Amino acid sequence: MAVFFLLLTVTHAWSGGTADQSSDAQTDVTLATGEAVSDAEDDTWTEEDNWDDEWDEGDTIADPLEPINRFFFHFNDKLYYWVLKPVSRGYSAITPEDVRIVVRNFFDNLRTPTRAVNSLLQGQVRDSSVEVTRFILNSTVGIFGLGDFAKDVLDLRSTKEDTGQTLGHYGAGGGFYICWPFLGPSNLRDSLGLVGDAYLHPLIFLDSDWEVVVGLWTFEKVNYTALTLGDYELFTETALDPYTAVKDAYNQYRNGLIKE
Amino acid sequence: MGKYSKQLSLISVFLLMVWMLLSGGERALALSENDPLVQVQKSVDEILVILQSEELQTPEKKDERKQRILTVVNRMFDFRGMARSSLGQNWNSLTTEERDSFVSLFASLIEQRYIGKIDAYSNQKVIYKDQRVRNNKARVYTAIIDRDLEIPIDYSLQMSQGKWLIKDLKIENVSLIANYRRDFNSIIRKEQFAGLVEKITEQLEKSEMQN
Repeated sequence: MAVFFLLLTVTHAWSGGTADQSSDAQTDVTLATGEAVSDAEDDTWTEEDNWDDEWDEGDTIADPLEPINRFFFHFNDKLYYWVLKPVSRGYSAITPEDVRIVVRNFFDNLRTPTRAVNSLLQGQVRDSSVEVTRFILNSTVGIFGLGDFAKDVLDLRSTKEDTGQTLGHYGAGGGFYICWPFLGPSNLRDSLGLVGDAYLHPLIFLDSDWEVVVGLWTFEKVNYTALTLGDYELFTETALDPYTAVKDAYNQYRNGLIKE
Repeated sequence: MGKYSKQLSLISVFLLMVWMLLSGGERALALSENDPLVQVQKSVDEILVILQSEELQTPEKKDERKQRILTVVNRMFDFRGMARSSLGQNWNSLTTEERDSFVSLFASLIEQRYIGKIDAYSNQKVIYKDQRVRNNKARVYTAIIDRDLEIPIDYSLQMSQGKWLIKDLKIENVSLIANYRRDFNSIIRKEQFAGLVEKITEQLEKSEMQN
């Protein structure tokens, strides 16, 4: 354990230096490319310049399975309105918000091995050691991960790394879009990633029955939904083709995470 | 008591040192009145004041509250520019009247998406992280602190008649305009522009009924 703390201090010092350099470098780039003065906007739509491309980079993803995907999107949508939402509402009526946050912290803490290993695989030694420290502190002082002591007191923030992002980091594209029943939006790369994530989850070491795994997963899902009730409805009801909107949002979100 | 107070002061000195070490990385931004970040902050603060006003939280004042928020929102966003880039190439083939009516439909759609979110507001804080300016374009990086979560929100702005106007925003990396462009495109491909207009109108009427 002492080794991890040592690692943490060393990497903390490193990252301090590199972070400064990178922000300088970014400013330079901005200045160097700043010469291209854009024209005054007229009222036609034109291809925007490089700076805007960088903002709006996400490509669309191939969708050869569209009919099946649409079927399962519809299935998940009905599942949400008919089962998940009423159950989550009932659950949130009997649990205070603080309890739900504690439950979310608990499940989130169990994903730490996944994040630590994947940060390391992407060469982010500092992030990885932060995750390890977080896991140790939150599982002990934070009582089985119920509290987020490491963030609240030491400002050690979690990353969102997973196996799908590691594959993306080494150049794997999304492949094509997949909308799984129950699990929701994904793509080929991230579906393979989910398998990797599962093998890094503490549950796998407990050798639990699949009923237990499904039960826990459902509980986590209900708890999460209870904390975000309304978000899904608002997004899909203000989209014109909700299937396309969700597909694109997933794609943009994942591309953004991989780029970070 | 005296014995403990010495230990306590030692502990507090130690904690102070830890705090200084951890917070040392943040760099202060030197900002002036005309900076995009300051303009975004001003408008967002204005909205927060309306949201937090207890007087406006009563059911009778619901419309007034919404109207006041919309006034600020309309000053912040370049709805015409946003509508144009959400249609991409399709914009060019529209007549001026078609464009005008589309802009107002589009604005209502965006309002619906975000006003809905605003009703769920419960004292979340907004933090302002950084800005980048290049000629008449700018990026402003912010985040919403929602209890223990930090949700990044990035703005893309354009200078127009001495004011910075928002032309897109990204919530957790998802660009609003790019998302609508693909959404709209999937409708236009099958049902042309007329089909899109019909769908948006339908959508707006549906939510009007719900309210």
